[in-house]
Amino acid sequence: MSSDKLATELKSILLKRIQSDQLVVPTIPSVVQKVQEALREGDQTVAKRAAEILEQDAFLAARALRAALGSTKASSGQKQPTLSDAVTKLGPRGVKGLLIEATAQKVFVSRDGEIANALRRTWEHSVAVGTLARDVLALSGHADSDAAYLAGLLHDIGKPVVASVLLEAERQTTELYNRPWIPCAEWVEVIAKTHRAVGVALAEKWQLPEGVVKCLQENLDYDNADRTSIVNAVVFANALAKKTGVYVGTVDADDIDAIVMIGRSLIGVNDEILRTLTKGLKDRVDGMFD
Amino acid sequence: MATILTVDDSRAVRTIVSKQVKDLGFEVDEAEDGVLGLAKLAECQFDLVILDVTMPNMDGPTMLGKMRDSGNTTPVIMLTSESKRSIIAGAMKSGITDYILKPFKPEELRNKILSVLQGAGGGAEDVVASSMPGGAPAAGVAAGASPARDPGAKQFVDVMVVDDMENVHKRLRGMVPAHLSMNGFTSAQSALASAREKVYRVILVDTEIPDVNSTVLAQQIKVLQPHAAFVALALRTTAPEQTKDLKSQGFSEVLYKPFTQDHVDDFMVQYFDNQDFLTSEDNLLKVAPFVGKPERLERYFGRLSQLFPAVLNKVAAACYEEIILDLGSVPTQGDRLPKLLVSVAGQAKEVGMSMSVVGAPDIQKVLASFEETKNIKYFASIQEARAGAA
Repeated sequence: MSSDKLATELKSILLKRIQSDQLVVPTIPSVVQKVQEALREGDQTVAKRAAEILEQDAFLAARALRAALGSTKASSGQKQPTLSDAVTKLGPRGVKGLLIEATAQKVFVSRDGEIANALRRTWEHSVAVGTLARDVLALSGHADSDAAYLAGLLHDIGKPVVASVLLEAERQTTELYNRPWIPCAEWVEVIAKTHRAVGVALAEKWQLPEGVVKCLQENLDYDNADRTSIVNAVVFANALAKKTGVYVGTVDADDIDAIVMIGRSLIGVNDEILRTLTKGLKDRVDGMFD
Repeated sequence: MATILTVDDSRAVRTIVSKQVKDLGFEVDEAEDGVLGLAKLAECQFDLVILDVTMPNMDGPTMLGKMRDSGNTTPVIMLTSESKRSIIAGAMKSGITDYILKPFKPEELRNKILSVLQGAGGGAEDVVASSMPGGAPAAGVAAGASPARDPGAKQFVDVMVVDDMENVHKRLRGMVPAHLSMNGFTSAQSALASAREKVYRVILVDTEIPDVNSTVLAQQIKVLQPHAAFVALALRTTAPEQTKDLKSQGFSEVLYKPFTQDHVDDFMVQYFDNQDFLTSEDNLLKVAPFVGKPERLERYFGRLSQLFPAVLNKVAAACYEEIILDLGSVPTQGDRLPKLLVSVAGQAKEVGMSMSVVGAPDIQKVLASFEETKNIKYFASIQEARAGAA
């Protein structure tokens, strides 16, 4: 099957699942392990580590937001909700329930080392963009920096959703039918072709915060009217993460350089801040999901 | 002194930019579109162009393209309300050094002008931290895919200052003679990058840069700049042999902080004045023009007095019987000039030479108004002086 055909079919399957509320996405093994450790240590540890765990898993974070905030959506003028808001609203019991549920679904790990690595780096990219978006707004004295983290973490939310279905398909193909699976380059291409539409559909169905929804748009660009908006922080952070090498997939280097150059002036990021933002970024996220 | 060209169809923007440039102590010229901008560039050389994108007659990207096509590699900062990625990416391919989005803060403009003129580069690839110089390429991006930089011949710069405190650069820039070029760097990385691209005569390295071993840094730069003199910039400590210690680490001299104008003058004379302040070619001696505040005149004449004996001896050693002293437009107020000329004429006589003076007309008046100098021969031009000697 060509990558175009596979992408089209996957998109169709996923959009149907989202609309019928039947989407199940397993949690990544490293996060499951952290949840299990916290659960073993007792309720106090769960309450203490809940936000930290949620901050690392885009899909789990989105589920927490959905469970906590339901249909109460912040309008553009209001403060955008953060993960801390979601944890507070869910309460200790709600958070524990969410985490137990997260560990219940057994996740399949790709047998292809390259694909497993690409998936891990996809997660790292999301955390890097969240961290950079939060830091860039914090360094410019913006109050909404935690909401920027969330928007950065979820800006590629469609990717883990598509990846989970691809993993499911890989298991069936290789284990049940004993046939070879697609190469990594094609796997990355299929995700690139489908994740935007899937992410937007998911965000709309789950009524995720407006700041998050805006960051899921195709060809996202700067908003000149509001220089320190969450969208601008995420666009800048995404380009910086790609430039620093924390990304999977092909990148237009000229476009990335232009986004970074524009963002430095638009948001007001001087050379010193830029160095601080990117210093050690790769080391900070490397191995986070091993 | 650096000269900057601002090209913008908005008179208000040109006025604001010009004011900021002048406040920084640089010269500025203006053009209101790309056609006039290119005409200005054809007339004279600029150190930096600040260029708008959207303009009548010829827009910024077209002007930039024509500049590059004609081999003009002057650095360009794009100052525009345009934030379309494709347009900025195109401009980056043509080699813009930096970008400022309108409306802008004057502080951002000033910082970026200084950054470009001081050779710090600008552009995010220089400042994105990475294990690779210039920032690692993202996955799928070939190394070296970033915009091309001017690969032209190496530029000569008089002074490099490496100090993490920007105010040290500013203070030194204000004290180093204006005719000497100076690049300042706050980080080891940017200093090394510049050392790879340019040729420096004197390199001053702060001994207290956080997280940097200045001795190692100086050694690294020395590999790239084998002919430069290395000077330590240090705060004086109680160590009895601080100067000796620093010299043993490879520095040829030490400039102690906080430095004064006199310290800097005395220091710079070791490296530059013999070559620039008073020059000689055969029997023609030329005095560099005075640049600076009037209160520095005393030191200017004092310096000249110190330099004349060696130069006169050199000319006498070549068996000349007369020297021609070209004073150009040396300041004539007071009696400093007559005193200097009497002294020089006396020294020349001691080694068997007579002296003629060439310079602006007011020098003739000064010579005539003092008893001691009225017999010194004056000519309006060097040709006349040579003919007079013959």
